[in-house]
Amino acid sequence: MRRALPDVLWTLALAIVAALAPTLLKAGFDQASVSYLSLASNAMSLGILALSWDLLARTGQLSLAHAAFYGAGAYAAAVLANATGVPIVLALPLGGLVAGLLALGLGSVTLRLKGIYFAIATLAFTEVLKAVVQELPTGLAGGAAGLNVPPLFRPHFVPGQMQRWEIAFQRNEAYFYVYAALLVLTIAVSIVVQRTRLRAAFTAVRTNEAVAAVMGVRPARAKLLAFVLSSALVGMLGALEAMRLGSVIPDGTFAISTTVFALVTPIFGGLYTTLGPILGAGVLSAVEETLKRTFAEGYLIGYGVVLVASILFMPRGLVGLATRLRRRRGGSGTPAAGDAEGPA
Amino acid sequence: MMLRVQGLAKRFGGLVAVSDLDFEVTEGEIFAIIGPNGAGKTTTLNMISGLLTPSAGRIELAGRDITHANSAERCHAGLGRAFQVVQPFPEMTVEENVMVGALYGAPGTSNAVARRRAADALERSGLDALRDVPAEELTLLQEKRLEIARALATAPRVLLLDEVMAGLRPAEARLAVGLVREVRDQGVTVVFIEHVMPVVRDLADRVLVMDYGRPLALGSYAEVTADARVIEAYLGRDDEEDEA
Amino acid sequence: MDPTLVLQGLVSGVLAAGLYALVSVGLALAIGVIGVINFAHGEFFMIGAFLAYQLFVSFGFDPLLSLIFVAPALFVIGAIVYRSTIRYVLEAPELNQMLLTFGLSIIFQNLALLIWGGDPRSISGVPYRSIGVQLGGISIGLVPLGSFVISLVLVLALYVGLARTRLGRAMRAVAQNRVGASLVGLEVDRIYLVAFALSALLAGIGGVMIAVIQSPTPTVGFAFTLKAFAIVVLAGLGNIRGILWASLAVAVSESMVATLVPNGDALRNAVFFAIIFIVLVGRAWRRA
Repeated sequence: MRRALPDVLWTLALAIVAALAPTLLKAGFDQASVSYLSLASNAMSLGILALSWDLLARTGQLSLAHAAFYGAGAYAAAVLANATGVPIVLALPLGGLVAGLLALGLGSVTLRLKGIYFAIATLAFTEVLKAVVQELPTGLAGGAAGLNVPPLFRPHFVPGQMQRWEIAFQRNEAYFYVYAALLVLTIAVSIVVQRTRLRAAFTAVRTNEAVAAVMGVRPARAKLLAFVLSSALVGMLGALEAMRLGSVIPDGTFAISTTVFALVTPIFGGLYTTLGPILGAGVLSAVEETLKRTFAEGYLIGYGVVLVASILFMPRGLVGLATRLRRRRGGSGTPAAGDAEGPA
Repeated sequence: MMLRVQGLAKRFGGLVAVSDLDFEVTEGEIFAIIGPNGAGKTTTLNMISGLLTPSAGRIELAGRDITHANSAERCHAGLGRAFQVVQPFPEMTVEENVMVGALYGAPGTSNAVARRRAADALERSGLDALRDVPAEELTLLQEKRLEIARALATAPRVLLLDEVMAGLRPAEARLAVGLVREVRDQGVTVVFIEHVMPVVRDLADRVLVMDYGRPLALGSYAEVTADARVIEAYLGRDDEEDEA
Repeated sequence: MDPTLVLQGLVSGVLAAGLYALVSVGLALAIGVIGVINFAHGEFFMIGAFLAYQLFVSFGFDPLLSLIFVAPALFVIGAIVYRSTIRYVLEAPELNQMLLTFGLSIIFQNLALLIWGGDPRSISGVPYRSIGVQLGGISIGLVPLGSFVISLVLVLALYVGLARTRLGRAMRAVAQNRVGASLVGLEVDRIYLVAFALSALLAGIGGVMIAVIQSPTPTVGFAFTLKAFAIVVLAGLGNIRGILWASLAVAVSESMVATLVPNGDALRNAVFFAIIFIVLVGRAWRRA
């Protein structure tokens, strides 16, 4: 519906930066680059989590089940690796598929729930799924103790040609690229939603479902599509994280904190946009890391303060703040479609 | 027959809002529904556009039974609706609002066609200059126009208008009357609820009078206004102001 | 099936329902009267628990005695939280309220972690903790019984207060019609303040009880936030009276499964949330 060129350019620029980042980091920081790469993967993980949640929120579905689909993807990977002999790399699409199908099921039964009722039903679903996974036969899913997951990459130490820390570097570098690829995929999905007629359907369903239907939008279809896309993406993330972290365990893999971060980040960055959740993930990751390094203990207090302050002082997130500042400086320009709509 | 309503009824718990409602609207007709406050007019439109499920009865659009179709399917079948209580999508611009109807109102509409249809609807409803304004910044009059524009953009065969003239100044109402005629001249059937009697007189080919959820009289404007029961219904009570 | 076990499950469930109702009714007050989605509600509960623990450790206060200090303290904390943050998001979208209160929850939880650490703490020294009554094979602990009675009295007192007192009627008026209420001269902001502080106070009292019943850690609050939300939603938003029944339904089911199903204790949460899920989904489809 709108010019798509700037989006493509931005994404391309981002991809180029990502492609060069590991090499540059290694050249600049030597051994320290190992942990920088890991931090970057964490930040991208948060970005994927947040943007995929935002996709769903664009249809007005305030899901508290993101951890369920993350966990479903992670467990799909773990079970695949432990119960079959297929190459582990298949875990990524499988994680997406399992989470997507699960979302189709959950989304179909929760179609008529709105607002906080929807939120609590999806939260309840997460808790039930966690218990179900825990009660599965131990041979299959490991019970409360969870399962080990083989890594996606196993770099080998070559004596004489590399230093010890370079094994970790190679591993982190490989994961970095996979996270970047998944992030680009998520951004691409988001851009497609924002730049095609889907945006009109999603926004209409979010703001007034009944009126949207009278105007020909099929709310059920829009909501389910968003649910499946969002969950498939976070399912793949779950599978990837399981392989990077090396294990899955019900209490951790289905932790409510995953859901909390998934929704906090887009609100902080700017809801219903592509840029907002990504920006939010970057800034919040940086804030958390800085706080962690400054205050060894209780640094999360500062994190909470940042969240509270952000709602009080920039209710429309970073993107909304930027739009407001730009408009104030621009002065006479044509009014934009409201802060929340801001840049795509 | 473009629209046929047979034995339509709606009960809310013990309250009967509409009952025994039968009427038919022919293609290209302008059909008015009038009646005192609480007569069940908006409830009737809500059942026709799929927002309420009838307790009994049958609704046909161009010979097709749509009684059990959902709102979106009815829209695709050719039913357009402008609401009495204006309900724009506040976060969208005027143009984006209209584009929703243009893109999704008729299945298989390409982006280019939708854009043209939206532009046409904006122009006809006089919203051309406001296309980039957020809908939340519109005045009530502009919002009413947006309601009509959105409904038009869905390329309806039957257009349902719920009190779109209420609150308009005479000059504005004349413009709106012209718009409705123009729409009809392009082959769209119009069903409208209205309290402003001069508008009903100028526009309607036929008028259905409802009272207490039942049809009271049906005929030309002259016929129904001469009907003793109608006069009784209107003059016998003093509650003929806008229904909420 | 052993009838004694069934009865035991029933009794334990009913007793547990009191605490659920007490915590949930406070949240219902925040949602119903003020219209704020408060995900920090359980933190008031947690603060209550740890204040009671601290008073016990430092001064040897009996939990019952510490109620005299904890209740007003939570009222004040609630009032401060309302004044400094909540009142600014009353008109904001639900998501903003959620982010704000998640932020508050993170702050309180981590403050508590900083002060008390992550280990479970309990008021184990009170003499009556292990006292119980045996009735035909069913054991009823004095502490669960006491917490049930106190909870029930408080919840009923709140019901009566909302129905009979001037402030209570004002709260209900505000809940039903914000604009109208401010027009008739009620000081809406002050009523919100009191309602929010009261909701914190009720949660705090619940917290004191949990410190005796269990051995809570600073994360206990969030778990109760989620459960309280589920109960409030089950009862129906704004339906404060429904809280008692909703609490009873989930607590008894939870307890039945824990008592009757082998290894059922691990399933408590699953049962709780399965009921919520089924009821919400079922209700939505039946209504249509």
